[in-house]
Amino acid sequence: MKKNVPKLIKLAITLTFCLFAFTNSAYSQSQITISGEIKGIDGTPLPGANVLISGTQTGSAADFDGKFVLRNIPSNAVLDFSYIGFQSQSIEVNGRATINVVLIADSNNLDEVVIIGYQSIRKKDLTGAVSVVDPIKINKNITNSLAESLQGLAAGITVRNGGQPGQNSQIEIRGAASFVNSNPLYIIDGMIADANQTVNNNDIESIQILKDASAAAIYGSRAANGVIIIKTKSGKEGPLKISVTLNTGIQQIPQTWDVMNSSQYANLQKTSFTNSGLIPPSSVGANFNPNINTDWQNEVTQTGNTLDLNIGASGGGKNSSYFLSASQYENKGVLIGRSFQRTTFRINTQMKKGIVTIGENLLLSNSNTKQPLGSFDTGNPFFDMVTMLPVIPVKGAEYINANNPGGWGIGTVDAVSFSKNQVAVTDVLRERINFAKIVGNAFVNVDIMEGLSYKFNVGIEASYDFSKGIRRNGVTQFNAAVRPSFIADNRSRFSSILMEHTLNFNKKVGKHNLNGVVGISDQQTKRDFSLAVRSDITELGDQIFTEINSTTGTSVSEGAITDDYRTFGYLGRINYDYDSKYYLTLTGRIDEDSRFSKAHRTGNFPSIAGAWRISKESFFNVPWINDLKVNASYGELGIVTLGSFDWQGTINNNTRAILGGVAQVGSYQATLVNPDLRWENRKTQNYGLEASLFNNAVKLSAAYYNSLSEDALVTNLPIAVYLGNLGGTPPVNAGSIRNTGFELEASYKNTSNELKWNVGFNLTTIKNRVEEVGNRGEGIDYIQTGLTRSKVGQPLGQWYLLKTDGLFQSQAEIAAHSLNGNPIQPFAKPGDVKFIDVNGDGKITDTDRDFSGSSSWPTLQTGIQFGANYKNFDLSAQFVGVFGNEIFNSVRQQLDSYQNTNFRSDVNPWTAANTNTSDPRIGVATNDQGLVDNARFSSDRWLEDGSYLRLRNIQLGYSFSEDVLKKVKITGLRVYATGQNLFTITKYSGLDPDVQGNGILERGVDNGNWPASRIIAFGVNLEF
Amino acid sequence: MKNIFILFVLLTVISSCSDELDKVNPNEVTNQSFWKNETDAIKGINSCYSTLHRGGFSRWQPMLYDVRSDVGVSYSPWSDLANAINNFIQPDSNFGPMVDVYFDNYVGINRANAVLANVPAIGMDSNLKERVLGEAYFFRGMHYYHLASLWGNVVLQLGPSAPTDLPATSSETQVWAQVIKDLTDAAARLPKNYADPKDQGRITKGGANALLAKAYMQIRDYESAKKALDYLVTGDGASSYNLVSNYADNFKITSEFNVESVIEWSYIENPTEGTDNDVQTANHNFGTSVGQFYAPPGVGWSDAEALRWPIAEFEIEKTITNQRDPRLPATFLYNFTNEAGPAATMVYGETFLQRYGNNKRVSFRKFLHDHARNFEGYRGINNYRFIRYADVLLMYAECLNATGKTNDAYQYVNRVRARAGLAPLTTGMSQTAFLTQIKHERLLELTGEGHRFNDLKRWGDLAPTLSSKDPGFNNFVKGKHELLPIPQRDLDINPNMSQNPNW
Repeated sequence: MKKNVPKLIKLAITLTFCLFAFTNSAYSQSQITISGEIKGIDGTPLPGANVLISGTQTGSAADFDGKFVLRNIPSNAVLDFSYIGFQSQSIEVNGRATINVVLIADSNNLDEVVIIGYQSIRKKDLTGAVSVVDPIKINKNITNSLAESLQGLAAGITVRNGGQPGQNSQIEIRGAASFVNSNPLYIIDGMIADANQTVNNNDIESIQILKDASAAAIYGSRAANGVIIIKTKSGKEGPLKISVTLNTGIQQIPQTWDVMNSSQYANLQKTSFTNSGLIPPSSVGANFNPNINTDWQNEVTQTGNTLDLNIGASGGGKNSSYFLSASQYENKGVLIGRSFQRTTFRINTQMKKGIVTIGENLLLSNSNTKQPLGSFDTGNPFFDMVTMLPVIPVKGAEYINANNPGGWGIGTVDAVSFSKNQVAVTDVLRERINFAKIVGNAFVNVDIMEGLSYKFNVGIEASYDFSKGIRRNGVTQFNAAVRPSFIADNRSRFSSILMEHTLNFNKKVGKHNLNGVVGISDQQTKRDFSLAVRSDITELGDQIFTEINSTTGTSVSEGAITDDYRTFGYLGRINYDYDSKYYLTLTGRIDEDSRFSKAHRTGNFPSIAGAWRISKESFFNVPWINDLKVNASYGELGIVTLGSFDWQGTINNNTRAILGGVAQVGSYQATLVNPDLRWENRKTQNYGLEASLFNNAVKLSAAYYNSLSEDALVTNLPIAVYLGNLGGTPPVNAGSIRNTGFELEASYKNTSNELKWNVGFNLTTIKNRVEEVGNRGEGIDYIQTGLTRSKVGQPLGQWYLLKTDGLFQSQAEIAAHSLNGNPIQPFAKPGDVKFIDVNGDGKITDTDRDFSGSSSWPTLQTGIQFGANYKNFDLSAQFVGVFGNEIFNSVRQQLDSYQNTNFRSDVNPWTAANTNTSDPRIGVATNDQGLVDNARFSSDRWLEDGSYLRLRNIQLGYSFSEDVLKKVKITGLRVYATGQNLFTITKYSGLDPDVQGNGILERGVDNGNWPASRIIAFGVNLEF
Repeated sequence: MKNIFILFVLLTVISSCSDELDKVNPNEVTNQSFWKNETDAIKGINSCYSTLHRGGFSRWQPMLYDVRSDVGVSYSPWSDLANAINNFIQPDSNFGPMVDVYFDNYVGINRANAVLANVPAIGMDSNLKERVLGEAYFFRGMHYYHLASLWGNVVLQLGPSAPTDLPATSSETQVWAQVIKDLTDAAARLPKNYADPKDQGRITKGGANALLAKAYMQIRDYESAKKALDYLVTGDGASSYNLVSNYADNFKITSEFNVESVIEWSYIENPTEGTDNDVQTANHNFGTSVGQFYAPPGVGWSDAEALRWPIAEFEIEKTITNQRDPRLPATFLYNFTNEAGPAATMVYGETFLQRYGNNKRVSFRKFLHDHARNFEGYRGINNYRFIRYADVLLMYAECLNATGKTNDAYQYVNRVRARAGLAPLTTGMSQTAFLTQIKHERLLELTGEGHRFNDLKRWGDLAPTLSSKDPGFNNFVKGKHELLPIPQRDLDINPNMSQNPNW
């Protein structure tokens, strides 16, 4: 943290320098001049408020003190005053030279502008389903990425988080309707680019989430999973404003498993062997060493920390504006050997001359991730630090040999563990990944005539990724194969260039309003990589030589263009409304994509939407309803889940015949293909209602949606083994999935007292149903994936497991569990798990798996946000609640298998004298089918209630009053303390019920999921 | 305004060049442009040999023959593995190592099918074309041989796979018929040997006939098996094969492809590899990991070990010079591999005594690297001698005996015994007694080379009674455990398939 301060100072100086480049104040002279002040009702100036001569584009914006000057004005003009969040006013000049205006806050915010793709419209005119999320709420959270911050803040959005530094979250909008990809499309300032961990959330000015077909259809072939539109900040007219925010905190793993210490372990391990009639290993018997008592979780975890520093500068003249920012984010992880660090620099500028506006938004981002290098020997710390035996030391002289020069404790024949020594992992296997990235756009906008403008927008995303992996000599696991040390450099480039021409039009005739956009869009995306590896690294004392030239072994290189595709589209939208009462929106897009064969290349994506503002009808007269609107939409969207060349069968040249002592090239088609790949199509209906009640104190928005995906491209499906297919499952247009659900967003605010408070609530239900799985064979209406089955009529990826029914308490019970007198579990002993013979064939086999009756999908997801202000204090809280889902706890499965693992401290194995327990008998499973069955993986024994309610964030702030600050020439100063993930109410026994899962079809598997950290942080916001 | 609009339309037209949407894959050639010439044919058949160093084939498959038989045992702490390969307990038909073996055999079949489907249409030298097709028939036959031996009733994929293939299960009899057909087609096309040293390791006519004979013997057609073996023992091929004088040379990295080698899988080291997956990258593992999995604890995973009773079988008979049978120390690594005992027996650079004290565990030694290195690993280079000439001679003797020509059979057994230094057999044995002797000879000559399970199966000896030698057989159920369970994964996908009896 310390060493980066100079870097930031440098950035700040650069920033300041840039600011002077953009000062601009050339006013023209004229005869009639009007000046005045625009203020809020409390007398505070409204810098940036707009004043326009009604019916023209001529006008100005208020300066920093809310003052404006208009020259060359007809004396009979009408001036329109407007400001975001305030009600607009029209005032006749009547020859006056001074006009002071007080704007009234528009608590209904209906004039709030929403970006819906190639166009901005007033929120009150929306016909589709769009959620707007306040960036202030986002930035209360200390996170790696935008998606992580969005958790719980909008209806219809499902976010599942991890906790690894630099890790992205899983985000879904209105469920999962694809077997492959459920990620939404991100648009950053008009550029299609992923808002992942390389993007700085502090630069965000607005976030809009397009959820239905009407809203998203303008993005056609890429929009089926929803669209998140991000606009970054821009400058307002006025002098330079500098804001600094600094936030730093500590991070902890929320909890660890309660496992045994070495003497407890030794006792139970002895019992286990004795129960099986075996001699216990000497590590827990004669050679038990009381001095070794390794708490592996303690060794591997640490107190992490976060630092987030942002400096922003903005301002502008009459015809130009700028926003610049620099940021530094650092995160030392809660596990040793992991960290993430990001530096960003943003330049957003805009300038105008006559009818031409030119602007750009550009982000430069440089991130570094440090983590253990992935390999055979890396393992998952969230398994290994729990299961590793406490009788094995972290290091020991007895372990030192040529293959284990570090002497890492990995176990012996007398203390067998196949868990990796996770301390050794961080030492032997190292990786640093650097992402250097540019994301941005530049545009020219020409106001051709009133109501018609042309825009040429060029977007670019270019990233240069470099990962350096170092494997040192050493082992991390008992008996593991010896592998040579090496250095691996992997460089990859990604580029995506978007070019768009659009025409926006806007026409008002009487009460008829017509506006819209037409355009063309062309995007080219390319990704390539080259990999260089050489074995046998050089180390001198503590110094590890990190460059390939320092190695002395064998070299390898690889390289490929992994992506190269182009998408070409025609787009258009027409919005019509009559008197803000009746609305009609027609949207359409035609896309062509190189990822399909010629015959299947073109897709059409139309949509239609309408809305009716009932509250504007003359017959409507309900005084406590201020605004009421209903809307409905239908449309079709697409998604491409294919790689660039998937439709073509290709020859794999990687196989090698070892003949005559050398490797000779072998070639054949390793991966099967399906050439008839088509678009994945999604038909979506949306019905919504929006209302403002009780003088706009209560706002409600509700929606019901019904979305059907057709021709869902199904990849990564289990494929028959006998096909001998390698290199990935061939995609087929096989599936159809329906998502229906209800969403509610409600808010209430009370500003009438000195204690001002507000509360927001959102609720999401998602009902997911597989409609079709394609031709998978006679009588097969499901797709089986590991622990789950996706069957027609059921949700995607339902648990499909053996069913258990408690423990056998006696031999008599085992005998009674029989068919025609033959025991169903002949190997079982008292204290073993009883399985239900679902198919009634008298045996327990995989054919007895069944739907467990519980789902990996929550029945209800909610978010609650609370905010309050009292005098100079502010308090906010965010809660996230997820209810009704079940999680498969594979870490517990491994612990409770009892084999080669430490034990839970509270494990209570069944014995004849201890029958009141749910833990089966303990013993050594080799040659004991009963014990093997008890630990069977695909059983409902490992399912647990995954419901939780979490205090996601709580923040208490204090803002210094202006009087105090004026003396030190500071405009704003706020200090605050934040607690994140402070408590979670759940029955789940794993570390965190918020699991990312194992892909879309096994979403509820806790595969040693990295839990979200608990964070306590302090921050300061400074403006001057 | 008008001009702008025209410009806009113009831009639209210019931008919509749909030819730009035809992207060429710069990484790999497409199917359409391959299978055009001789080089393509050779590359195609080479991919079949690549299967031999895939993990399922080179690592797990030998265990299914060694450990599931009565000479092997697994004390693997991975109890699922020990139970599956030693104790006939496999509740999960999708159990990874088993599926790996099943899968790799089908990978090999898919590769052979690609050659068989595409090479006939290539205009090329007809001799070479025949040879390549012969190699492909061999590989398909060899992979079905393993599937027939281990799973019995499987599906027959006889053309390039398509994602929608849902074939029905073929009976064990049908699968064996396919094995015999393919290997017969192979033997008819393959050359006696290869002139170019670069081709060392390619399958020969002798190799195809030897495996064909094994297949016939498994269905107890000894007459046809003998005919296939004639080529190697009395026919054209006989001059190419002999026994090496030092038995242990068959298992050393220094004496690969010797005169005794009939079918030998070749392995070399690739020090930079990062995967066993041979299609993911050309930089994959070219070695075998059987050593890593067979090596004793502290060196390798020790998943597959030997039982101690066969040692006594070796000690029944001394050589004519009154020495211990030299095949014993070549076969097992145990406390008396060196006759002087554990203090003199070296185990990867340390004495047995140092490493294990009084431990009585026994490791299969034949494919370990302890004669050359002090470690194992996944990159073993010791070639797997799949069929040796000694095996051929003993098979030949067994066929002669089975077809009533017992007297002709002695010479072949005696040749094998003589190399070990044992005296010739006393003549005059009955057919039954001779078979019993053959069983003893095969145990001593071939233990730890992956033949024992099929031998026991052919002789009808697989039964719970073997539990006196191998307690794992306590769980053996006749009519069930001769075969492994078909992976449920495939049954889940293909309703035309059926599970093996009693599983």
